[in-house]
This record gives sequence, structure tokens and C-alpha cells, in this order.
Amino acid sequence: MSRIRLLVAGVGGQGSIRASHIIARAAVNDGLKARVGETYGAAMRGGPVASHVKIGEGIYSPLNSRNGADAILSLEPMEGLRNAAEYLSGDGLFLTNTETWIPYDVNIGRAEYPPLEEITGAVGRITENVMKFDATSLAKKAGDIRTMNVVMVGALDSALNLPVRTETLKKTVRENVPEGTVDVNVNAFELGRKAV
Amino acid sequence: MNIHGDLKGERDLLLGNEAIARGVIEGGVDIATSYPGTPSSEVMETLADAANESDFHAEWSTNEKVAFDVAAGAAIIGQRSTTIMKNAGLNVVMDLFNTIVYGGVRGGFVIVVADDPAAHYSSNEQDSRFAADWAEIPCLEPADQQEAKDMTAYAFDLSEKLELPVLLRTVSRVSHGMGDVEFGDVNKEGREPAFDKHWGMPYRWNVYGPPGPVEKHRWLKSRQSLAAEESESLEWNYLKSDEGGEVGLIASGIGASYAREAVERLGLEGEISLLKLGISNPLPKERILSICREMERVVVVEEGQPLIERKVGLIAKEEGLSVDILGKTTGLMEDVGELSPDGVMEAIGEVSGVSVFGGEIDESVKREIEGLVAPRSSTFCAGCPHLGTFWAVKRAIEKTGGDIPIVNGDIGCYEMAGYGVFSKGLDTTMTGESQKYRYESPYELIDTNYVMGSGIGLMQGQLQAGYDDGPVIGLAGDSTFFHSCLPAVINAVYNGVGGLFIILDNSWTAMTGHQPSPCTGMTARGDRIEPYDIREVVEALGVEDVRAVDPYDLDKSTDAVVDGIERDGQFSVVISKRECTIQALKADEYGAVSMEVDAEECVSCGKCVELGCPAITFKDETGGIDWNICVGCGLCVQVCPTDALKVVEG
Repeated sequence: MSRIRLLVAGVGGQGSIRASHIIARAAVNDGLKARVGETYGAAMRGGPVASHVKIGEGIYSPLNSRNGADAILSLEPMEGLRNAAEYLSGDGLFLTNTETWIPYDVNIGRAEYPPLEEITGAVGRITENVMKFDATSLAKKAGDIRTMNVVMVGALDSALNLPVRTETLKKTVRENVPEGTVDVNVNAFELGRKAV
Repeated sequence: MNIHGDLKGERDLLLGNEAIARGVIEGGVDIATSYPGTPSSEVMETLADAANESDFHAEWSTNEKVAFDVAAGAAIIGQRSTTIMKNAGLNVVMDLFNTIVYGGVRGGFVIVVADDPAAHYSSNEQDSRFAADWAEIPCLEPADQQEAKDMTAYAFDLSEKLELPVLLRTVSRVSHGMGDVEFGDVNKEGREPAFDKHWGMPYRWNVYGPPGPVEKHRWLKSRQSLAAEESESLEWNYLKSDEGGEVGLIASGIGASYAREAVERLGLEGEISLLKLGISNPLPKERILSICREMERVVVVEEGQPLIERKVGLIAKEEGLSVDILGKTTGLMEDVGELSPDGVMEAIGEVSGVSVFGGEIDESVKREIEGLVAPRSSTFCAGCPHLGTFWAVKRAIEKTGGDIPIVNGDIGCYEMAGYGVFSKGLDTTMTGESQKYRYESPYELIDTNYVMGSGIGLMQGQLQAGYDDGPVIGLAGDSTFFHSCLPAVINAVYNGVGGLFIILDNSWTAMTGHQPSPCTGMTARGDRIEPYDIREVVEALGVEDVRAVDPYDLDKSTDAVVDGIERDGQFSVVISKRECTIQALKADEYGAVSMEVDAEECVSCGKCVELGCPAITFKDETGGIDWNICVGCGLCVQVCPTDALKVVEG
């Protein structure tokens, strides 16, 4: 059965919800079924955001089951980690940006942010399939740091066998980013594809 | 997103709330009203964008009651109308909700209620389906976004057929989830408003007019058999029968979506009968009996309290069937929180005797990860005006004696001042005395908080009962003030109570996603209008002691709150007014100051942390700024007693 279940994790303001919409809308554009389940709580910006994306056949509900995600697309390392134990499957892909967004709790000394190696090391005990790269730098290279989410979508497209065509994804990126940012976003998508 | 016009046959990915909005348009609505409330707000946001082109009236009303009454008024004169609210909003409309049904409506009237199981964005987990049973009207429950759209459009027809309002109950996972949706026809008749006061019944729209409320209630009863017939043939109820199994499933709304996936994961496809329901009132009795007669055990999966489960139990009992009805009443599933794919799968697996697929990871790995993950607490935004207001409240309480205040909060962004994000190890011993607690950040400041408009009422009760162990304060935002505080202000003035009422006016209904409030100067459709000035309103209501301050001026704000507290026995109002930082930044109207940090000057007092701004850092006992999110409000400079945080003179 052709079906992919993902979880896009990040911090409010990083564009993780838009990234999940691009993937799901591309699936619909390719004639597939799609579901997105998301939680964005009280925090407008800076809070944890997790978006469940399910595309393909036999999907009804908007949520992933326990350890049922084929991949976690992690726009911020600790947000990926926050969801890994509950959702990532034992042979799933953990694809993470390496750039961190330090929480307020850590900034004021009430918690500690673990070193990146500890994060990827811990995820490595769930799955062997851990990939990381500096998506934020590539977004800057593409022309706008805010395209980091699209860099990550591009990387996912080359790292995972999505049931969506690359051309459709690219077209959906074009149609779902703010006016005047189409070229930088397509650039970001391509840089992401080459990064992993 | 463009969801209006002739899009029949096209497919798109829609938010459940966008799908409901499309259903409203396909249903040919004439009037749509709402008050913002997560998870329902996107319905009206989407409708407001489409209103001009699709030729209907759309408004953000002052509160849900007004919204409901406006929509009902249009339905009485034959117009198709809808009103949209969150779970808590339904509680605000109950008066007319339970009375308009005595005579019903002429034009289709669809009441959309978005429940929030697991209270992601709400102060309760109420199951609003009970309201439909109470008022004796149909309640539709979509399982996904396609059904949300289709059922909404159908609900207008059903409403007109029954001459009754129809409730469409959605939940967060439908409203805030997205799914592929195929568009249908727009059924806009463009009918003219028409009034007939004896339309099929004497004094149809006047519940006291003869034959009076009891006869009109009897009429409502007479509609139930027609509703039951509709339920029996409803397109969104269907039975998928197996061959000779013992376990059946009855699953409604989003519960049906979880159930269908669970059946596949358990490998029970073709071995288990599933009655999928799209309606909770009235239930399709014959369909329910057809599954209960064949099975030994029936599992009921529904989001919320066990409403359908209990009704199914009664139907089976009346028929003398020995089937076991299992679900939330029997402890198979918890009736607190929301359904989950795993919870539903485990419940079905347990009853079917099928062991659940075990793909779970090792407990030691889970513990290792839990140990590594740092919290990312919900805070006010960097530079939020509320930070200034709460700093002033805290300082004023200290200045006026530091005794045991009661800060009565309300619903809006400012409620975060009661989230207690850094509090731990709280002493909850029950004694007979008032208890004093220390608080270091604004996040521990609010003492009571329940629902919209309740803070100012609770405050009055505490004062009338003679509380004098400390100052008593009530809080509300601008949108909340207009939503449900006006009668309470009049009550305070007229009944001569004291207390300080602080109105945090940021010009927007901010927490639900920045819908306009009566202070914004803009309607739902984007038309400019003269905004209300809260000071004028409060003064017109008879409040003599009113002060307006800018929360970015901490000294003046603190003085105003001190003055208000010291007006012992006189009701006073402080209006803390500054536009929401996010909106001001968006409009490019934010006057940022340039700041710098001089770590050498830091005396590690922690005052900057006490402010509660998420842009403050405090590493190695030294104050600093997270420049990634700092907006340059300058509040931290005002609280810093040295020059460690300072404004760079331009």
C-alpha cells in the first residue's frame, strides 16, 4: 500500500505548518488522499509545533499512531527529539536541521539544552536512519532565512521515497509561498534536495 | 484561500473550518455570524473573505449570544443563516437556543459548534452534543473535512425540512485538521426576506403568543418522528457488515476515522461489522438494532462523553437484546481527554481478542529522551504590552502592603499570567485562613480564571462578602470587555461595590488569531469603522474613577494601579492601552528602541527575568537579550536597576 506518514516538528514561527501543508497539498494535487493534524497552542511564536501529515491510501484520521511515523522532519533538533520517542517508527527516518532555537526556559537557566550529538545519539537508539544538515545556512544561501522550511521539504523529497512527484512538490511550493518569494523558495527547495 | 464561486468537482486540501465555510456557501447562506473562539474562528475568517463575492452578510458579533440572535432573526424571515462558535460559546447562547425550537425557523438555520476534547485551546472539554438532545434538535457529526463540508450544506436543507435549527458539532481534530475535499454545487436561491407572523402556527415567532409555550413544545415533539426518518436514511450513516463475527463497532464523528484505521491495523478487515454514524440525535434506531441483533458485543467509539453509547444501550434494552454495549461507560476507554488512534485500536483489540501490534520502542530509550528534552514553555510574546501591565500590577501590590491579593483573570492572551509555567512543588494544604504565596514571574499572578467576563463578577462577590486580606482586582481584555463585562460594570456601579477593574486594551481579539474587536476600527469584511474608546464607554456607564495608561510606561502604570487599589470602597477602572505588538509590527507602526547589554554592570538581581519577557536571557547569573526575538520594546531597560540593559541614545 502506497502510504507515507510524517511528523513535521518545529518552533512556532519556523514555518513547520506551511511545510506540512505543502507536502499534503502536493499529494492532493497528485490525486492522493491527505490528512494533516496539527496543534498550535496558545503561543503565537516560540512554542512547540507538531504537524502530522498522512498521504496515500487507507488514511482517515489526522493523527499518527504511536511509533507509526515513517519520518520525522525536524526543523529544530530538540523539537524533533520531543516527538521521536512517541511517534518515530523503528525503521523511520529522522531528518533534522542542525540549527537550534534555544527555549526561554533554557535562556533563563531553568533547563538545559543538550548537545546536538546527544540528541542525534538518542534518536539513533530508535532508528539507524538519522540525517542532519544545516538547513538554516542553506536558506540564507537561497536568499532568505525564512525559507528554511522549504529547504527541509526539498531534503525530505530526496531522502524519502514520497508518493508525490518532485515536479508536483516544486509546483506546490510555487503556489503556496508569499508573492515575490517564489524564486528564493524554489532555490531553497533545490538546495535542500541536494543537501542529503 | 479561495473557496467561493463555481468550483464543483475541484479538489483541494482544506482545513476543517474552511470546509465548513465552503459548506455554508454551498448551502446558499444569506447571513453568517460568529464570535472568535479557537478552534472555530477560521470558519468566519474564511466566510468574511468570501462574503462580498458570494453575496451574503458576514459579521463578527459582539458575543455569541448576539451572533446567535442575529442569525435566528434572519432565519425567522426565511433567510438561510448560520452562527459559528466554540464549545464555551454555546454556553453563552443557551437562552434562545433552548427557546427558538418552540416554533423553530422558516429559513435553514445551522448552528456550528466546535468542541475541544483534550482542551487544547479551551477551559473545558464539554460535549456540546448534549445540547442538541436537550433542545430536541438534530446533531450532525462529521468524521473528516469532506463530511464537514457536505454535512454543513445538507444541514440547511434538513433545517428547512424539519423547520428546526440543526446543530453541526465539530471537534478540534476535524476543524483544525486538514483533508482532501471535493467541492460541490453552490445552491444559492437568492430568496427575498418574507415575514408572516402566523406562518403555519398562530404567533409562530412569539413563544408567549397563543397557544403558548406548552403547545409549542408539543409541536417540537411532533417534529421528532420526521427527524428520526431523516436519520435512518442519512447518507453519512452506513453499515459495513462482516460474515458471522461476534464483535460490532458503532463509531461516530472523528471516532469513525480512528475506528476504520484501527480495524485495518488489527487485521480485522472483513471480520468486524462497523456502523459508522454521522448523527448523534436522533439516532437511526433501525440501523443500530440491525447491528445489535447480530452481535454479542458492540464497542461504541465517540468523541466526548458516552452519549451515543448510553442511547444505544437503551435501544438494545428496550428491544430485549442481550448484547453487551462497551465503551466509556464500561471503562474500556477513558471518558476524559480525547480519542487517539492507539486508544481506539487497543479498545477494539481487547474486545476482539486480537493482540495489538507492538512497534513500541524500548522503555530505557524513552526515559533517556525524556531526560534530554527541555521544556519550551508558553510565554507572552517578546514586547507584549501585557508584560508591562502585569509588572505594574505586581509592583503595585507590593507597594500597597504586599498582603494577599485576589487577581481575577479572564479569557485572552493575558490569561497566560496564570499558566504557572515555572511553578513547582506547590503547597496545597487546606487551612481556614487566607494564604500568601510568593511569585517571581507574571506567570503566577492570576488567581482565578474560568470563562469570558467572569473575572469582574467574581471580584464583586469577593468584595460583597467582605474579603479584606488584600486588594481585589479583576482583569479583562478589550474584546472580552465588550463580549460580557458591560452588565457587570453597571452592576458594580449600581450596587456600590469597590475593587479595581483593569482593562488590557490591545485593540484586537488577539489570542484567537487577531480578529477585529470593537476597538479595532474594522469589521469582519474589512470595512473601516469608528472604533470604540473604552474610556468613554466606562465613563458613560457611571464609573467616576477611570485612568488610562500606556503599559510601556511602567512607572505611570504602576502609579495608576496603586491609586486604583488605594481607592478603598470605590469601584475604579484602569485602562492599559497599547496595540498588540504583533499587529503593530505587521503594520510597520512599531516604534522600536535600540538597546544594548553591558554585562559588566549586571548585579545579578534577576529583575529582568521577573519581567517574564521571552527575549530575556540569564546565563551565568547575568542578564542579557536574545536578539533573535527581541523587538526593542525597552521594558527590560525600565526594570533593570543598573545600566546592564540600556537604550542606545540615537
